[in-house]
Amino acid sequence: MLFRKMLRDLRKNKTQFISIFLMSLLGMLVFVGLDAESSGAGAAVESYYSKYNLCDIWVAGSGFSNDDVITANKVPGVKNVEKRLSLTGTCEKYDNAYMYINFMDSNDINSLMLYEGEPFDENTEGAWVQEWFCRHNNIKLGDTIRIKIDSMTVDAIVKGIIDAPDYVYYVSEADVMYPNYTKNGLVFMPSSMYPDKSNMIYNQLIVDVRDDMTDKDNIDRLKQKIEKAFDRDDIAVTDRDQNLSFATYDAEVRQHSAMGIMFAVVFLAIALLGIVTTMARVTASQRTQIGTLKALGFSKATITIHYVSYGFVISALGCIAGAWIGYATMPPWILGMFQGSYLVPDLKGKLTTLDIEATIIAIAVATLVSFLSCRKELKDPPAVTLKPPAPKKIRHSALEKSRLWLLLDFSTQWNIRDVLRNKLRSLMGIMGVVGCAMLLICGFGCMDSINGLIDKMYGELMTAKNKIMLSSDASYGYAYDLAEKYKGQMIEETSVEFVTEKARKSGSATIIDKGNYIHIQDKDLNPVKLNREGIALTNKMAGLLGLSEGDFVKWHLVGDDEWQYTRIAQIYRDPSIQGITMYRSVFEDMDYTFRPTSILTNKSVPSDLIDEDEVSTVLNIQDMKTSFAETLEMMNAMVYIMVIAAVLLGVVVLYNLGVLSFVEKVREVATLKVLGFKSSKIRNILQKQNIWLTVIGIGFGLYSGWGMLYVICTTVSDTLDMFPIISAATYLISIAGTFAVSVAVNFMFSGKVKTIDMVDALKGVE
Amino acid sequence: MIFSKKIKKENELQIEDLEREGGTLIEFRDVCKKYSRGDRDFYALKDANLTINESEMVVILGPSGAGKSTLLNLLGGMDSASSGHIWFDGEDLTTYSDNQLTKYRAENVGVVFQFYNLIPTLTAYENVALMKDIKDGTSDPREALSSVGLEDHMHQFPSQMSGGEQQRTSIARAVAKNPRLLLCDEPTGALDTVTGREVLALLQNMSREKKRTVVMVTHNSFFADIADTVIRVKNGGIESVVHNDSPKDASEISW
Repeated sequence: MLFRKMLRDLRKNKTQFISIFLMSLLGMLVFVGLDAESSGAGAAVESYYSKYNLCDIWVAGSGFSNDDVITANKVPGVKNVEKRLSLTGTCEKYDNAYMYINFMDSNDINSLMLYEGEPFDENTEGAWVQEWFCRHNNIKLGDTIRIKIDSMTVDAIVKGIIDAPDYVYYVSEADVMYPNYTKNGLVFMPSSMYPDKSNMIYNQLIVDVRDDMTDKDNIDRLKQKIEKAFDRDDIAVTDRDQNLSFATYDAEVRQHSAMGIMFAVVFLAIALLGIVTTMARVTASQRTQIGTLKALGFSKATITIHYVSYGFVISALGCIAGAWIGYATMPPWILGMFQGSYLVPDLKGKLTTLDIEATIIAIAVATLVSFLSCRKELKDPPAVTLKPPAPKKIRHSALEKSRLWLLLDFSTQWNIRDVLRNKLRSLMGIMGVVGCAMLLICGFGCMDSINGLIDKMYGELMTAKNKIMLSSDASYGYAYDLAEKYKGQMIEETSVEFVTEKARKSGSATIIDKGNYIHIQDKDLNPVKLNREGIALTNKMAGLLGLSEGDFVKWHLVGDDEWQYTRIAQIYRDPSIQGITMYRSVFEDMDYTFRPTSILTNKSVPSDLIDEDEVSTVLNIQDMKTSFAETLEMMNAMVYIMVIAAVLLGVVVLYNLGVLSFVEKVREVATLKVLGFKSSKIRNILQKQNIWLTVIGIGFGLYSGWGMLYVICTTVSDTLDMFPIISAATYLISIAGTFAVSVAVNFMFSGKVKTIDMVDALKGVE
Repeated sequence: MIFSKKIKKENELQIEDLEREGGTLIEFRDVCKKYSRGDRDFYALKDANLTINESEMVVILGPSGAGKSTLLNLLGGMDSASSGHIWFDGEDLTTYSDNQLTKYRAENVGVVFQFYNLIPTLTAYENVALMKDIKDGTSDPREALSSVGLEDHMHQFPSQMSGGEQQRTSIARAVAKNPRLLLCDEPTGALDTVTGREVLALLQNMSREKKRTVVMVTHNSFFADIADTVIRVKNGGIESVVHNDSPKDASEISW
């Protein structure tokens, strides 16, 4: 019978219980959705890596022979070693696609995953080409693809359509940060296909480590041993965490699960607030019933269980439904978007024990909270509970005692008292507004920040209209002539490796010749002149290395055996490329030869320039900007989630609050009506309080929205140094949006003032 | 009376259990109930002494604030005494823990409230059936409701019934437990005279025919006429205990 009573009570207070239901549903939906998605993404890649034997250690260097393979193989703990020649080139036929090319003579490590065709065999002439690239460029088995590597050309028949575990994520230099696998291909060929066999030099060793040695400490020890075994300065030994493909995917997965926790905390906190206020109200309004049940001989435990089960049933329904819906919908949606960014087969969501634990914990906490909020009515003996509650002890606040109080009009006084005496309810209202404004600011702020990042990258830091990228064939003389012809600026972009006691990081080095297309900004984003005498290190890299201006940094060019120990003359900030920048003269003072890799120019470049052997590609900055923006689908999805969540949160919390305070105020409002207040006047009184709370909430919301955006921007990845930007439009939309939600919801309730029947409302309590 | 045409077999069995007519069921000795208001103590009941016999109809009379509700609360185990002893069937209630008191209420006491105190979200039938959750061997709710003449209102919610019907539901709920002690707090307080008399008749019948001990609290002195024993309360003390050798029928009195 008590169960029936509960069902009917739930129906009677349905708005509030529905809002609790919705909040717990949303919280678990987002949490389980993102967790199942990130766990699924993690699990899929994990099994992909192990099935296709992703190497544990990479050794890059300027040349490896079979003897080097044997040397590496002899290091205890190493299971297997293969050598590769890893190059880049272009494929003219497919819109000048930028190609990663690997020549190899065996394939037991980083094995190719075959979709179609025959497995890789070093004795079969042909090319094994990445699946996405084939699909989007309509390449079929048996087609011949022509690949240009510097001045050489390779024609190969497509023998297999594949994916590779070490190329889950890759970007061409043109795309910088977002992959475009249609214009950026990946191809594997047997060593015998290399055109210039007599000059073939393998530049990479991939090392598979014994299964019991794959933990971090052992890998670090093995890396040192390998370095010692070779005893040469021209190699760089890196592990999975330093590998772009592995680390990017790993960071993405982590970020999603962190997002999931953040959203879940917001929603569940609101759900709990809802439970506290609703249960306190329900039990307070059923005081007499509770007394009756006690008097009839129901035990305290039975009554407690009865009321606690309200919170339990609702939160259980909400959490379980949310978890289920989240699991069913979020992973397919987000992993669908993953497809364009990461080349991982069999991506699907995975429910983890954490999801189940989190669901149980959420329900348990909700139940506990409802226990705590109804305990008050249960502690007294029935004789006490049967009587109406003793009136609240009301103390006058300092404000009420002050002289100022008398200057305030009635509606202000009434509202101040109402807020002070219903602190929990007011707090909950403010929280709802804070959440709404925070998510709106953060969501739109993400968009602003990305746009700001793009504008900064291509417009402030790099101001040229075109970038002519040179192939390694281009002599200095050729580059110089080209730069003269187009009034361009020569730059060299190359990879470097930094080493400190704390960390070892790969980055890039930009060496600039005279010209005015490259600009740098200091930590606070003010334009500064690049130091003419020394090197400048990016702020983010400095942070990762634990260095600051004036310190010395140890670095070397990848492929060069000489280590440099240089004082950091300047710290600058770059959103997308982390490393060092210096003038050509500084570079040459270190006895390096300046080899320009591209020319920046504002002059228009004829389209046939690309046909010259010395030119690898010409990039139009405007195109880069557009394609960059288009590829940020993932970020946009986050923005949608946040905006939808914001509005839902605002509506649900404020509606719940509205019902609550309206019910509590009915008698007071009816009294005011009896006294002769006009409905419109009463409405204004009620709306006034709402506006106060909304303004306070928006204030905090703006602040915490900025904080949330800051966290997202700074943790988004190792290579991105995003700065939170919130435009005036975002502020305007967020404030107006929050206000609109709040006022609209409140209007619905204050509209009911007219319908309050004075006589009815002032009659008996029950 | 119209509401008590039939006496149920199971009730007869109960009556045999209670065949100690005239024996003492309840005894109060020097019972005090003290409240603290600020630094001042206030006695709602002071040094109360009384005995109530099995299957008696007892009316506790007194003006507002005299302590009669306190007396009723102590009788029903709904509150605990500050000092003194309350014996129920030889057991001292003042030594009981909260849980024992709850069990005492569930097993032995039925309460009829002035404002009925039905659960508004449960129908008449369900309100009575609720008792099955706390005690084994309760009467069938259908029979309990029939015995108070509510066969036709079984599935109505309290809000759909008149005051008299609600009070009868409340009585059905109280007697469905087959309690040894039926406590009534101003049971006619919210009813008109005619309906009130019907309710009184029903209660008198519980004592006379079904041999239950009925204790009724009221400020209405006319009710003294129908009681076997009248206890008058004043200023927190027992003023007098009068035995009435020939109580009137409930139908004979008017107010």
